[in-house]
Formats: sequence, C-alpha cells, structure tokens
Amino acid sequence: MGTRVLGIVALVAVLAASVNALFLVPADVNQGDAQRIMYVHVPSAWLGYLSFGVTALAGIGYLWKRDLRLDAVAVAGAEIGVMFTAFAIWGGMMWGRPVWGVFWQWEDPRLTTTALLLALYLGYLLFRRLTDDPHRRAARAAVVGIVAAVDIPIVHFSVEWWRGLHQGPTIGSPDKVLHPSAPGLFVLALVSMVVAFTLAWAWLMIRRYQLARIDWQIEEHGRLGRISAARRAVRAAATTPADGAAEGA
Amino acid sequence: MPQTTIYVAPRTHERTPRPAVATQELARLFGRSAALAGISLRIGRGATIALLGPNGAGKTTLLRILATALRPSFGTAAVDGFDVTRDAGDVRRRIAFLSHDSGLYDDLTAAENLRFAATLRGLAEAEAAVATALATVGLTADAPRRVRGFSAGMRHRLALGRMLLGTPSLVLLDEPHATLDADGMALVDGLIEAWKAAGVTVLVASHQADRVIRLADGWARLDGGLLLEVGGTGISVGTPVVVGVAAPVAEA
Amino acid sequence: MSALRADASAALAIARKDAIAELRGRQIAGSTLFFATLVLLLFGFALGPDSRRLAEAAPGLLWLAIVFGSLLIVARLHQLEAEDGALEELARYPIERHAIYLGKLLAGLAAVLVLGGVLLPVVAILYGIDLAAAWPALLATLVLGAIGLAAVGTFYAGVTVRMQAREVMLPLLMLPVVAPLLLATVKATSAALTANALGDLGAWLQLLIVFDVVMAVAGAATYGHLLEE
Repeated sequence: MGTRVLGIVALVAVLAASVNALFLVPADVNQGDAQRIMYVHVPSAWLGYLSFGVTALAGIGYLWKRDLRLDAVAVAGAEIGVMFTAFAIWGGMMWGRPVWGVFWQWEDPRLTTTALLLALYLGYLLFRRLTDDPHRRAARAAVVGIVAAVDIPIVHFSVEWWRGLHQGPTIGSPDKVLHPSAPGLFVLALVSMVVAFTLAWAWLMIRRYQLARIDWQIEEHGRLGRISAARRAVRAAATTPADGAAEGA
Repeated sequence: MPQTTIYVAPRTHERTPRPAVATQELARLFGRSAALAGISLRIGRGATIALLGPNGAGKTTLLRILATALRPSFGTAAVDGFDVTRDAGDVRRRIAFLSHDSGLYDDLTAAENLRFAATLRGLAEAEAAVATALATVGLTADAPRRVRGFSAGMRHRLALGRMLLGTPSLVLLDEPHATLDADGMALVDGLIEAWKAAGVTVLVASHQADRVIRLADGWARLDGGLLLEVGGTGISVGTPVVVGVAAPVAEA
Repeated sequence: MSALRADASAALAIARKDAIAELRGRQIAGSTLFFATLVLLLFGFALGPDSRRLAEAAPGLLWLAIVFGSLLIVARLHQLEAEDGALEELARYPIERHAIYLGKLLAGLAAVLVLGGVLLPVVAILYGIDLAAAWPALLATLVLGAIGLAAVGTFYAGVTVRMQAREVMLPLLMLPVVAPLLLATVKATSAALTANALGDLGAWLQLLIVFDVVMAVAGAATYGHLLEE
C-alpha cells in the first residue's frame, strides 16, 4: 500500500518537474534549449552514484549479517543504478554534441567518471551472473562492490585534477546550472527534478527488492525443503535392516 | 508411527565440558543439494572415531567444515569449544587436515614444501621438525626433489608428513589410505596409533571400514547427509536422531 | 607486536615461495616480458613512423604495456595456488587473511617492478627518448604504479581464480578500477620526461600514493572473504 502511494507521488512529481524543466523554465542564454538536458542528466548521474553506494553498503551489511535479503538490496541497487547511469551518459552525450560540438569530452569529470561507473556496474552484474551458489555469490559480489565503490571517488578526483592541470574549456561546463550565481528558477527546476527522480528511484528500488525477496523466499524454502526431503529419504531407506553396522571398539 | 531413537550410551568422554568436536544441527547445502542435512554429535577428547558411509554421504563435507574450509549453511560446529565460523583462527591452530588434494607446490622440493608449512605454523625449530617429519614418512631421500616428479603415493606421504609439523589437538583424515601401497597404509595406521597414544583426537573418514574400525574407539555412520548411527566410545549424538531402525545397537 | 611480526613473516614466506616457484617454473617471467615487448612493438607499427609522435605517446604506451603485463602476472601468481588445492590449504593455516594478501601482493610487486625495469629501456630505444636525466622521478613513478597494480591485481586475481570465464573476467573487473592509476602514472612519467614544473609531478605522485593506500587497505580487509567457501 505504502509502495503504491509512493509510486503515484513519484509519477506525479516526475511529470510535474519535467514539464516545468522542459517547457516552463526559460532557456539558457548561451546554450539554448540544449541546456535543458541537464535537468535530466544531473539527477540521473546522481542516482547512478547513489545506487552504487547502496549496493556497496548492502554488501557490507550482508558480510556482517549474512542475510540474503541484504544481497537482494545490493542487486536492486546495481540493476537500477546501471539504468540511471546509462541514461546519464546518453544525456551527457546528447548535451555535449550541440554545446561542445563533440559527443565526448575527456576532461569533463562527470562524464568520464560516469562512464567508468557504468563499466564497474556491468562488471559487477556480469560477475554475479557467473556464480551460482547464493551465499557464495552474495559474499564475493559484496567484496567486488565495496572495492569498486572505494575507487569511484579516486576516479572523480583524478579526472578533476586532469582538467585542472590542463586548464580546459570553462565554457559549456554542465555545472553551470549549479553555479551559485545561476538564476533561482534554474536551481529550483533542477532541485525539483532531483527530488522527483529520487522518489521514482526509491519506488523502483522497493519494487525490485520485493521481486528479489520473493526469489529469496522461494530459494530459502527450497533449501529447507531439501533438508527435510533428505531426512525423509534417509528415514525411508533406514527402515530396512541395517547391514554392516560395525561393532564398537 | 512408532520410531526408535538411537543413540549410544555415553562413555567417559561425553561429559567433558569442552568436547573435542561438537556440532549442532550442522547442515551444508551446495546449490540445490544438501550435503549435510543436520548433524548433531559430540566427540570426546583423545577419542579416535571412524566416519563411515558411502560416497556422497557427507563425510568429506563434515571434515571440511571442521577444518574451517567450508562455512556451515545452518547449525553450528565447534572444535575444543571454538566455533568454526567466529573463532576460525583458534580452530586452525588446533587442527591438522588431510584432504583429497594434497595442496603441494609442484615447483618446490619436498623439503621446501614442508619448510613453508612449518613457517606458516610459526614453528620455532623448523628444520628439525621438517627433517623428523620427512623421516617418519620415509621421504628423506626424496627431500631435495621437486614435487612435480612425485607419484600420487609420494604426494600423499608428503601431505601426511606435513601434518606432523606442529602439535594439533584434532586430526582430520579424509581417505588417508587412498593411493597408498601396503607399506603406506601401514604407515597411516602407525600414525593413527601414535596420535591415539599422544591423546590427540582423530577423526578418520574412510571407505575401508574394516581397517579403520580396528583402530578406532568409536564410529559414526553417515548417509545422505544424515547421521544414521554411532557406536563405540568417545562419540555421542547431540540430540536424538529419530530414525526407524529394525535392530538397536547393542551396548558394549 | 608479535602478531604483526607473525603476519609479516607469513607474508614474506608466501612472497618468497611464489618467487622461488616462479623462477623455477619460468612461466610468468619469460612470457610476460615477451608479451609486453610485443605490445610496444605493435604500438610502434600502429602509431606510425613519426618519431616525434611516438616520443610524445611513449609514457602512455609504456604504461599500457605494463598494465597488460601485470594482468598476466597476477593471474599466474594465483594460478599457482589453484593447482592441487593449494589455495584452500593456504587458507587453513593459522595466519591472518591479510597476511596472505600481502604476501601475494609482494610477489606481484616484485614481478611488475622487473617488468617495468625491462620495459623502460625498451621504450627508450623504440621511441627514442632519453631517460637518463629523469631517472629518479621515473623510478618513483614505477614503484608507486607497481604497488597500485599489485594491490588491485592481487585482489581481482583472488576474485576470479576459481571462476569459469576468468581470463576475460580479470581484465574486465580490474581495468576500470586502474583507470586513475593509469592516468596518474602516465602524467607523472610525462612530467618527469619533459622536466616539467615539480608541482605537476608531485601532484600526480600524491594521487598515486592515495590510490595505493586505499586499494591496498581495501584489498587486505576484504581478501579473507574471497577465501571462504
């Protein structure tokens, strides 16, 4: 019930904020309508990072508690995160073409870091696919997730350093919309998009987690069922007279 | 449905506060199959116990869990009162395990393999211990040869020699007689006797039921991941195993 | 304090064992050096005969070759343990998990240092650069870069050692993570070679130190979980 309410609220929020950002807020003086992509790109990128953080924390939680439900949270974070990250990169490229003239700009820290984030996500998901046993997979994926998460801030700083040393182009920075002197309307539009997207993200995470938890419940029942079945089988076999039952010392 | 409860009458070892081995509903799943489906037993200090049962009964799994090589899926296991999951380090200090794989490094010599093991066990007099171990298993002449050229029997002997480094209080043997000739098998028997005399607890899993029963104080029979019956001294069941069995085990 | 000494002695014993096994087996050393040199040769063909362009690209090409070579090195060092169940045996000793990680890291570090040491003169010859003046800075970069590669590589080799598609999973998992290391080492090497302002070089070396420390700590802390079944 609560999830449904969240879903509706999120949907309304996304629609409202999008209409505002895409149509109502005035266009940027320099970049024109292309700048509107930022309203979608920035929240997506933020959610990509948030999801990875969730995956890494859920992994730590699993290693501590050994509860597979935490692993379900980690998987949810990874799958939803990869979506938002891919979307963020696409948005970044779509924005880059009209503004920079090229699809890719190496020194834009957000774009390159997000690309690496995507690579880390895909590696994580692929890695999960190659391990069968649920607990083993959960433990190893948790470890992979933690190390990858620890790398992300380093990547970000290194690319910023790269840009800084090169004195790259200051025009066309996607962060213009976050600049302190930006008009209030811009900032408000962005913030409302971030909030709306985050609500949608939360709804997606909960749904994905619920799906994974059903899987877990089936799995757990299966596991306990195997044990009961094994005991029954042995009991049945043991009703025949035991042979070769050795004598004691 | 009438059911007969089987357990062995407790002997001297059962009442020690910290049995050498204690498991409680220990279970281990591999994907969809249950290698162990709930084992509860207690083994007393200094007892020599034979683990019997067909392939796939769960003997190796049980030994591996006690050796801290596998995590339990459910239940608990403890060695000398130390839990295998929480106090793994303490457990490792106290055990020696002979597994199916010998875990030797092909490009090192026999002596180097043992010296490596001695260092990792923190032995003070490594050289002397290594020499003694090699002599005991009859590999002194082959000490400077690389393991790559060794036969399966020789590797097995070297692995046995590795167990003689340090002073374990629990020895776990998984099919110790496999790949050995008559001399080798006699060597294993001799080692088990020696451990017994030294008060070390020994748990031997073997197909060769007759051979190990002669050496053992007690025995346990597994099948399908469950403990079917136990006998002899030094071993008892933690909680009653409820199984329908025709003939009860006679008390010795 | 004796716990620390026990860890150190265990790690050193493992590193020494790996070094001996490798020197005798001659598997990693020869083939890796050969492979890395081939890569450098091919880069020469790919980027054309213009020696100035090659000289400019040299730091990047050098470090790409080192990164690829280190993939082979760390993979092979863990394969030593996969044969005959040696890794499981190793995990059963009463030593700290991070001591095992450290031991393998040291072995990897030594191998990558040797690789780098061989490739530097090869690059100097093939791409026509003068190393003499900058060698202290180059050495520092090589050491810091090698530590980072060994730290990350040992970890991911441990992750993939018993996996099915490990030959492709190791690079797939490891390469994105070493991107900042690659950036920093290449920039530092360039700065060293062009005798740039010390500020530049210092900044990149600092980044390398941070990377090395963070990755080694993360690897050491989590390696134990990789050894569990």
